Amino acid sequence: MTVREVLETYNEISIDKEITEEIIIFTLYRRQFLIFPPSKDNPASTALLFLCNDDGADFPHIMLNNETLLDSPLIPKGKYRWVCLYEQESLVNSIVSYEDKISDSIERLIELLSMNEIEKEREFQKEFMLYWNANSVEKKPYSVYLTQEDEFAEMDVYFGESNVRIIEKGLYLSDINDRDNDKRKWVRHVENDVFFIPISDNRGIYPPRGGNNWASQEIKNIVFSQQVEHISDSVFKQINCTIPKTQNIILVFGMKSEWSNVTFAVKIKCKNNVRHSLLKKILYDIVAINPLTTERKDYLYFNEQLGNDIGLLKKKVLVVGAGSLGSYVAFELVKNGAAHLKLYDREMLEDDNILRWAYGGVGVGSNKAKIISTLLGLLHPEIEVIAEPKNIDERSLIEETSCSDLIIFTIGNSDEQLKFNRILKASQCAIPVIYTWLEAGGKYSHILYVNYQKKGCFECLYTNENGDLINNRARMNSDDIMDTAIIRNGCGGTRAAYGTTSLLRTTAALLDIIQKVQMNELTESVLVDVSPESVCISCTTFPMEACKCCGN
Amino acid sequence: MKLKKEFSDFYKAIRISSETNALREKRRVLQEDIESKLPDILKKHDISITKSDIKMIDQGSYKYNTTIIDDVVDRDVAVIIPLDITKNDDPRKIKGYLRDSINIASRTVYIKEPCVRASYYENEREWLHIDLPLYARYDEKLYLARGKETSSNFSWENADPVGLNDYLCEKINGNAQLRRIICYIKKWRNEKYSSTENDHEIPPSIGLTLLACDCFSALSTDDSDDDLRSLQKTMKSILNKFSIKKDQNGEIISASLNCYLPVSPYTDVFIKMKESKTHMITFYKRFSKAVANLTSAVQLESEHDAGEYVQKVLGPVFIVPAKEAVAAAAQNRREHSFGD
Repeated sequence: MTVREVLETYNEISIDKEITEEIIIFTLYRRQFLIFPPSKDNPASTALLFLCNDDGADFPHIMLNNETLLDSPLIPKGKYRWVCLYEQESLVNSIVSYEDKISDSIERLIELLSMNEIEKEREFQKEFMLYWNANSVEKKPYSVYLTQEDEFAEMDVYFGESNVRIIEKGLYLSDINDRDNDKRKWVRHVENDVFFIPISDNRGIYPPRGGNNWASQEIKNIVFSQQVEHISDSVFKQINCTIPKTQNIILVFGMKSEWSNVTFAVKIKCKNNVRHSLLKKILYDIVAINPLTTERKDYLYFNEQLGNDIGLLKKKVLVVGAGSLGSYVAFELVKNGAAHLKLYDREMLEDDNILRWAYGGVGVGSNKAKIISTLLGLLHPEIEVIAEPKNIDERSLIEETSCSDLIIFTIGNSDEQLKFNRILKASQCAIPVIYTWLEAGGKYSHILYVNYQKKGCFECLYTNENGDLINNRARMNSDDIMDTAIIRNGCGGTRAAYGTTSLLRTTAALLDIIQKVQMNELTESVLVDVSPESVCISCTTFPMEACKCCGN
Repeated sequence: MKLKKEFSDFYKAIRISSETNALREKRRVLQEDIESKLPDILKKHDISITKSDIKMIDQGSYKYNTTIIDDVVDRDVAVIIPLDITKNDDPRKIKGYLRDSINIASRTVYIKEPCVRASYYENEREWLHIDLPLYARYDEKLYLARGKETSSNFSWENADPVGLNDYLCEKINGNAQLRRIICYIKKWRNEKYSSTENDHEIPPSIGLTLLACDCFSALSTDDSDDDLRSLQKTMKSILNKFSIKKDQNGEIISASLNCYLPVSPYTDVFIKMKESKTHMITFYKRFSKAVANLTSAVQLESEHDAGEYVQKVLGPVFIVPAKEAVAAAAQNRREHSFGD
């Protein structure tokens, strides 16, 4: 079927002009559209639709600017705005026929034009930032850094060369004092007070769009609406009792729903009523508003966007051991929502290490913990990795338990693990502790989660039913494999053979276990065996009743 | 459960969970005006009360938490004053004093039969009215001041606004499905009577609320409440309460529905509608149509088709899900892409 033949199957459509056999201008619901067919040479393509000569159409998914690519002698002169009917990479187009693609685009257009107010509101809110930023006249984008999205907050403004940072008070960004030669990269400006106002009910809040730009009334409606309360009582109270120090103010609004999470900033110019509260300033003093190009840049937002568990966000994680496994674990912890790490390791990075070191050859000759701290700090200015270039001792470990939320041991030395286990048990450690280690040969690894308030500890693995100390019962390698999987390089020096598959597998399983601990899905101490075939609760008897460290 | 998400989205869209700060502020200022001015006005007419004698209590949907979005915010606040109604036997005068105490330029104030109404306008559009039913506390009983300012029909009517609040709060609080059903029925009423201006033609909220409480059928499946079936069954039970008379041609010539206040004065809440046969017949026909549409929705297998019937009842805010064939086709083509 041709485009014309497909269009003719719709009673709602009347064909106005056939530019070519496949490029047609038609009318649907009193609006005129131009359709280009999908390319027959490109199976991934879809039909393209443009709204013709209609600046007033108030529908979502219709681009704000006229399309200049249509400057062709074939196309009648006019204004054409692209109608975006498909989310990027939302459908597999290659499995759809040419005719079905045309029908599908028409069905979607009909659906778009038939939306009720609630559906339109939802779609406009999904595209809120597109409209908001298109409406801004400020050249520099404003990057917003928040630690939370539910409470009213005061913020600081720092101007940089190409953008402006708006940072919630109390949030420290590690690069805020950086200098370019002698010049500060970020200069704090105090001429505008800045406040974050979370919107808890977004009904009826539309972005500015063609002919419907925001004015003071839209701002008033958010904080003092007539029918739907857009902000919480506590936020209202704070707006009502906050007295701004400056005449003009920047307001940062956060609006989170199940279909979008947007943050938009606006500068409001106010009459000079110095004693007015923020509420009164908004209600009575606004003389002009200036929408600011806004983008969220904080660690919380990025983690939420990626679907990370944000339970780790404010937790302090102590990682003991910055060797091969520690380097992978630290790297992935930070990328999975843990912004505050402390690392202990006295070792230097050597050439021998780099093939199973998460960051390649950067920093050879330097302390491993320090290298990780430096590199992870580059990921995001909220990330704080403190490096302790030494091995942890008993006193430090006790101190760390009082200021950490989670301890992870990524060391393979059994004597050290047993020593730390005894210290933690004796101190009735109240925070979760995880021991993870690899077996030589690259096949097996283990993760032991210990809740020291309950039964089970690391020493259970080294204890038999009679309470005698024996070698690690969780070990899965045979003695033969142990012998062949150890590389000896003279003078007693050895190196266990394992590759990064084992490191990656163990790190992934560890992250899952951390999440379960965070979600309180895991409360009892447990041993997990990791192998290429499975990640499962170990068959090794655990806890061991006769354990002299934790048993009865 | 059919249309679970659609009903959930609909409820979120129509519901008002609390008084806005703007409304609270208006109410606070109104209360301050009454407390500061009414005693002086009454004193001029030899009625002595103090500020602390005046009690104001919430009534209506804001009290029972069954408020829905409407063109105009409707707030009911009872004003209770100690008053000897044997000496002050004309409630119209007392309502006039209450009106005078709040009659300032920022509000439009007038006397209605059961209350004094303060209306608020913005850009020439009324956005809020606060109805103030006035009660006299006399001999340990409350009496509602009834009668328009110039009407010869007036009385002090024994009433129990606190008892009514208690009755409805006990029924509704803790019963989330009932609360939703009341909101749906009120939304149906607003949709079907959107172009009706005469209050007496429109089923009152208190009547619909009491009927919904009386006739409510809780229905749920294993995983959640089934609001469609609950709404259909509740409305059908309400419909069954109508008494209908038909002529020889089967045309309805009268429709009656009795619903009495569960507390003093135990009057029929539809009494004003019953002043005209037509109003009750229209009410019955529209209600009957709604039940028929909901019954079709319950019986249909297709969520899309069922949604279309529900939309006829609850209006365009209720979103009809996509046709199953279209949804399935789209599902089959959905990309598994994991993004950047």
